[in-house]
Amino acid sequence: MSHRRYRVESAGEPRVFPPEARARIDRILKRYPTKKAALLPVLWVAQETWGWISKEAAEEVARILELSPAHIDGVLTFYTMYNLSPVGKHLLQFCTSISCHLAGAEGLAERCKKRLGIDFEETTKDGKFTLVEVECIAGCDRAPSMMVNDTYYEPMDEKQLDSLLDRLAAES
Amino acid sequence: MSTPDNKAPAGAPPATPPPPPPKDTFTVVFDGAPIEVPKNLNLIEAAKLAGIEIPHFCFHPRLSVVGQCRMCLVEVEGVPKIQAACTTPLKDGLRIKTTTDKVIQSRAANMEFLLINHPLDCPICDQAGECKLQDNSFGYGDQRSRYDERKRQYAGFDRTMIGPHVIADMTRCIQCTRCIRFCEEIAGTAELTFLDRGGRTLVWTHDGKPLANDWSACAADVCPVGALTTREFRFRKRVWYLRKTPSVCPGCNIGCNNSIEHGDGIVYRFLPRLNPEVNDYWLCDYGRFLSESLNLQEIEKATIREKEEVRDVLVPVAIERIAQRIRETIEGAGPKELFFLGSANLSNEENFLLRKLADHLSCGNRDVVVDKSRVRRMKSKTAWIEGDHAAANYAGARDMGLSPSDGGASLEDVLNGKLAPEVIVVADGSFSSIGDDEEKVAVLRRAKTLVVLARTTNALTRAADIVVPAASLAEKEGTFTNVQGRVQKFERAFLPKPPARPHGELLLQLAVLLGFGDRNWTPTDIRRQIQSEVEGYGQLTEKELEGGILMKKGDFVPVGGL
Amino acid sequence: MASEKVLLARVGRKDSRSIETYVEDGGYKALRTVLTGGWSPEKLTDEVKKSGLRGRGGAGFPTGVKWGFVPKDTKGKPVYLLLNADESEPGTFKDRLLMEEDPHQVIEGMILSAYALKCRDAYIYIRGEFYLGARILDAAIAEAYDKGFLGENILGSGYALNLTVHRGAGAYICGEETGLIESLEGKRGQPRIKPPFPAVHGVFGSPTIVNNVETLACVVHIVNRGAEWFAKIGRNEKNTGPKLYCLSGHVVRPGVYEAPLGLPMKELLFGADFGQGMKDGRKVKAVIPGGASAAMLTAEEIEDCPLDFDGLVAKGSMLGSAAIIVMNEDTCIVDAAKNLSKFFSHESCGQCTPCREGTPWLLKVLTRIEAGEGRLEDIDLLEKISNQMANGMTICVFADAAIAPVLSSVGKFREEYRHHIDQNRCLVGPRSAVPSSAPDLRPSTFDLRPPTV
Repeated sequence: MSHRRYRVESAGEPRVFPPEARARIDRILKRYPTKKAALLPVLWVAQETWGWISKEAAEEVARILELSPAHIDGVLTFYTMYNLSPVGKHLLQFCTSISCHLAGAEGLAERCKKRLGIDFEETTKDGKFTLVEVECIAGCDRAPSMMVNDTYYEPMDEKQLDSLLDRLAAES
Repeated sequence: MSTPDNKAPAGAPPATPPPPPPKDTFTVVFDGAPIEVPKNLNLIEAAKLAGIEIPHFCFHPRLSVVGQCRMCLVEVEGVPKIQAACTTPLKDGLRIKTTTDKVIQSRAANMEFLLINHPLDCPICDQAGECKLQDNSFGYGDQRSRYDERKRQYAGFDRTMIGPHVIADMTRCIQCTRCIRFCEEIAGTAELTFLDRGGRTLVWTHDGKPLANDWSACAADVCPVGALTTREFRFRKRVWYLRKTPSVCPGCNIGCNNSIEHGDGIVYRFLPRLNPEVNDYWLCDYGRFLSESLNLQEIEKATIREKEEVRDVLVPVAIERIAQRIRETIEGAGPKELFFLGSANLSNEENFLLRKLADHLSCGNRDVVVDKSRVRRMKSKTAWIEGDHAAANYAGARDMGLSPSDGGASLEDVLNGKLAPEVIVVADGSFSSIGDDEEKVAVLRRAKTLVVLARTTNALTRAADIVVPAASLAEKEGTFTNVQGRVQKFERAFLPKPPARPHGELLLQLAVLLGFGDRNWTPTDIRRQIQSEVEGYGQLTEKELEGGILMKKGDFVPVGGL
Repeated sequence: MASEKVLLARVGRKDSRSIETYVEDGGYKALRTVLTGGWSPEKLTDEVKKSGLRGRGGAGFPTGVKWGFVPKDTKGKPVYLLLNADESEPGTFKDRLLMEEDPHQVIEGMILSAYALKCRDAYIYIRGEFYLGARILDAAIAEAYDKGFLGENILGSGYALNLTVHRGAGAYICGEETGLIESLEGKRGQPRIKPPFPAVHGVFGSPTIVNNVETLACVVHIVNRGAEWFAKIGRNEKNTGPKLYCLSGHVVRPGVYEAPLGLPMKELLFGADFGQGMKDGRKVKAVIPGGASAAMLTAEEIEDCPLDFDGLVAKGSMLGSAAIIVMNEDTCIVDAAKNLSKFFSHESCGQCTPCREGTPWLLKVLTRIEAGEGRLEDIDLLEKISNQMANGMTICVFADAAIAPVLSSVGKFREEYRHHIDQNRCLVGPRSAVPSSAPDLRPSTFDLRPPTV
């Protein structure tokens, strides 16, 4: 019924942070008294570098922060925003918490599912869109609220959804 | 409290009595009954001292307190809401109630929550009979369930190996985190973690880093349910058919205390036996899974080789032949042509007997096989102990005097040809470093009579002239001296399977035939002799052995005799 | 009736995010007053106490009193101030507005509060979804460092403070103060046992205070205009100061509204300066006054209902995060309760038994009832499950929050539940929202009556 997060997929190759990301990590480490405390920010750097966090990325982070890989997995799977497998170019996040629900969020999500031919937690074959359901994203007064990657689109309705999807699909 | 006579002059105000010394205990009141408890205990442990059982899952005396299972909820006077006992700090004057309606209902509620997603696996689950969930449900839960939904599943994480020894079944897990905390805090390897969250939480490892530390089966020990079990024990025996005999692990010279769990003369497993000074609550995987080796009796008959022909004989016949050959050698070339090899696998009593026999025969050629192993580590309550010897009683064997004396030859002397004895008696031929080494066996084979007492066949037993079947550790009692200098007793689990006899009995039979010792001696009798004759073993009384006494090697206790 | 805007004064102003306009509008004056005007940390704490400021994150605990819990002698340990910008309570969006539109107000409030606590290193724990808010705060913090309002020797006073933005990654439970602390330490955000309380033993083993965004924004104005001025705003001396209200649901004009604490509920819903009434002329059926964790109120109960801490407690609910969610007569309450249960079931951290097992159980039962597969016993069952999840059974009050929508909806809208069960369909008829996906249903296969033997 609810999506489960227990598989951290393999990228099939080792992950090494590019120098600029490594520099960011070094700056981050200076901000905390323990290496462990830098874990969430460092995982964000990993996600920004590769789009998602693989088993190999987790192992690299474990090595840099001197933590066990199991600990990294525990954190990765606890927080829903870390992608445990590759995601499409546009991560469509539909809020379905109470205020958006009252505004018809599920109907909007269904429309999107039909149009893209995928369900929640799935990615279109062309790799353009991944669809997920999220809990309250604090857009309640502009319900129904949704996000595409890091940008809010609110309030959303059917027409705007159609044109948004048209625009994103047309992007090269 | 008596006060000394007050020597104040008349008219002076009376001196105030000195303040009472600070207590090193707290007074805690359980259900109206006060009790003095040490300050450093957890409330659950303090309750146990008062004879009160507070049910729990996640609490473990050696692991950090997390207060997660919520089973130990009690009422604390002065606090409106129920509190977890394990996270309630002890303080003087603490008043606890464990029998109120609130407490009873909270336990029933918690049991209901734990069981709604728990599979009805008891008929096929190894944990049955030693399962905290069964015990607490029976003691504190409701008889019926109100749950009528689908139970949570963990496809791919049920009945799946999570490491070389441990099978995991996450459908049974109650998320108590004992296993995670064990790996993090005791083993220090942190292989286990929670994955996901909420009702979907499970325990697992990082892909490619299985639960493979040296003590991985301890995670199955601490698991209060059948979520983690050992592969080696799976489906072998219902635990209520098992008898428990206290013993000592034969794997190395740390001498972890274990329990031989057996039935009908078969050893089914080792479990750790609590000893905070040595192994605390733990056993290493290597030592734990040596349990199976106690079932291996390959040598089932005494044999004598005569001119290339090996024939079966009765044990007394074999012993008589050994005695005869020894007598012949003494009368001929003399006792310097004898060689006695003891073993770090044998008890103090057995090694002592062997050395006394050699003394009686005026033979200074005696030794013990030195088999170093990889360093093994074990966590006692307060420190890490290292063992480096492949068997339990190296220290004891040496203490009993199994070293060359009066210019006698060592094993090394024999192996490099400095001495070529006529008769070699190997008291424990199953000890592998000699037994499997073809080159060394060839050297020993040069003796006119090679005598071996053994349980398992190897190159040595195949080359020997006289082989006598010896019983296993489970079939005798005795003591080992570990790397700390601690003498520890192991008990007999079941009788030997004839014609095999314990090494000590065989040696005693031989000794009596050679004019030494009394055939009625028991290991206890021999211990009395050790106590009076061996330096440093003066405190070796039966009473002291209960706790596994620590002998301070430096202290010489004056003895009579020797 | 409109009142003066204090917290939202600069929202909508051109370039409201920049430090130049902030200073132009009187920003960082409070900081100067305190740091160069000879205010001791104790004096500042006293002012905050006198103002009656109560935490605006959900618990409503008096802020000055909370600050006072930090031990006088911290035994050499540093004190940490953590800003709780994890705003994830459904229906709440005021902190997002404050951070996105007037970041310096929040930053100045933080610096002042950190000074009161003698704190050297402070963190803003902002939820991962607030990408924009985090970028805006980062930029504003850089500006503040640049102008000497952060870093070493602020305004020449000798006081030094480092401020770091720390992004969460999608977990409502990290809004719980000890869950936040665990998350900041780089672990799963599982709340801690209390005691010890964070003020004594918090992040990195040190004394820690966790405060909400709106709460610290208030501190700026308490310094600028005085504790007495602040205390005069609001319904009474226990409910003081200006308050931000998040109005959402079936009203004409959802949004963030500022009013003195104690604004009447009906004013917020129907006032011309506020919600302007129900959309499409529908009638009110139920209102959640304080975010998903607050008990629902019926249309009758919102009459004469002051929106403040004590006023809502008197109504059997709570102000919480001041997220007022309005449901009209077309709303199926069972469906709403199910949606809220889904939220709590997703967000439970899973540590302790009653919540981990209870929240999905509630969802499963509600799902069955909503889909027309309920049984009569299920209504009592919902209440029984809820009552055995709370009141000390769990490590934190997440479970108490999770049961609020269930208990209040079952208690006040029992008829709707019965209708779903007896008639196998919804009381209010087909809804505009697509019905939720049917779960794996299974009719009852055994009798739930107690055994007779």
